[in-house]
Amino acid sequence: MKYALLVYTDQSSWQALSDVESARQRAEAMPGWNRLFEEIGKADPNVVSRELASASAAQVVRVVDGKTVVTDGPFAETKEVLGGVLVAELPDLDEAIRLAALVPAAEYGTLEIRPLSNR
Amino acid sequence: MSERLAEVYAEEWPRCVAILTRVLGDLERAEDAVQDAFATALEQWPQTRIPDNPGAWIVTTARNRAIDRIRRERVAAGKTALLARLESLPEDPDEMSSLPDERLALVFTCCHPALAADVQIALTLREVGGLTTSEIAAAFLIPEQTMAQRLVRAKRKIRTAGIPFRVPPGAILPDRIAAALRVLYLIFNEGYATSTGGVLVRRDLCAEAIRLTKLLCVLMPDEPEAFGLLALMLLQDSRREARLSAEGELVLLADQDRTLWDTRAIDEGLRMLARANALRRPGIYQVQAEIAAGHAQGSDAATIAFAYDALLRLDRSPVARLNHAVAVALAGDLERGLSLVEAVEGLADYRHYHAARADLLRRLGRGSEARRAYAQALKLTEDGPERRFLERRLSEASASLPE
Repeated sequence: MKYALLVYTDQSSWQALSDVESARQRAEAMPGWNRLFEEIGKADPNVVSRELASASAAQVVRVVDGKTVVTDGPFAETKEVLGGVLVAELPDLDEAIRLAALVPAAEYGTLEIRPLSNR
Repeated sequence: MSERLAEVYAEEWPRCVAILTRVLGDLERAEDAVQDAFATALEQWPQTRIPDNPGAWIVTTARNRAIDRIRRERVAAGKTALLARLESLPEDPDEMSSLPDERLALVFTCCHPALAADVQIALTLREVGGLTTSEIAAAFLIPEQTMAQRLVRAKRKIRTAGIPFRVPPGAILPDRIAAALRVLYLIFNEGYATSTGGVLVRRDLCAEAIRLTKLLCVLMPDEPEAFGLLALMLLQDSRREARLSAEGELVLLADQDRTLWDTRAIDEGLRMLARANALRRPGIYQVQAEIAAGHAQGSDAATIAFAYDALLRLDRSPVARLNHAVAVALAGDLERGLSLVEAVEGLADYRHYHAARADLLRRLGRGSEARRAYAQALKLTEDGPERRFLERRLSEASASLPE
């Protein structure tokens, strides 16, 4: 079954950091991410994983009465925003839960597991 | 006949659903097939007789019905593979030498943490307990239609989320055992300290929880917490008849008529506790059973308070802290007990918190505070035996205690 692991984090705290400090924290988290990629790669060599650019670069598009309306910002006004996506073919939900718990961001953010629809 | 049929149903339902789920890889399909097979049994068995091995009969009939159903479906994902797997089961019940026991996998699927707690409970009663949807709906006092929808959604979620059907591997097994035991204890408590309907004990749910926990003990004979939970349930249930006065009011442990306690249940509970202890891996249910055993055997308050100390080391939850505080108070140190009660946070909406605090204030002779606490407890308590008890205590406190 194909699962999407959606990584939600509060990016405001990141943005408050200096470049040096944010680089240091990223470096610190690297071994955790490497371990995740190793494990998830074992489960599915074709895993897709992408980090999204900061939510401050997001826009929302709607079509209202045939007109395209673009507004600034991510869709939901919540502290935690979608920051990354992993999509992998996994044997079952327990494996998805195990891998989600390996995502370093799970310690300071939230991981949502969504099976892909096979329609 | 119909009584025997009901027995066969309760006994064979989980076995058969579990086997068919293993073969079909889908709980909803498995349940439909087994349901079809029991409908056929209901038609045929009164004319013929109940077969010697009814489980094998149900499984082969369910197999044949599932094959029919799947052949009729125009599009079924993996139709050929599904049919091949079904056909690997024998067509004739006599050829099925022994049924594999897949019930433990069924327990863990129904108690998977990805399902909401009320869903885990309903699904466990339906699939592992073999209760019908209308029986479960009646036990929880909700419309049958609502319960039916809840169960359908649960089975769909199991399929779409990919909740596995198996005994979990070692790394997550302890957590999942704890989750399964929790579901069984919730079923028991729903029966024992029922939150709805104004009856104090709903026997059917208690009996069902005990039956399911016994099944779990059979399936996991080396799991001390399963035996600990069984002991706890049996010991609590032994006091069932003594918990309600002739006037329909709750009777606290200390005031209960001990001749009403069920000594057979106590003996069985103590035996199960000894069995758990022999495995030498303590846990929260074993310690709670130890406390219940202490009450059953008339241990003094200091011994009970000591056992609550041990429990507190394993369980730091607010409810555990409240129980510990009350035990300290009842062991003689009312002031310290009260200050421990008042140090517990997060129980502002818990009726037992206010009732316990009110009782300690009453014992300390602090009338106006006791009355306010009783009033708080009453606000959170529905009509029924507990409410009648609290109302009497409140009126007594108003009559006898100074402001």
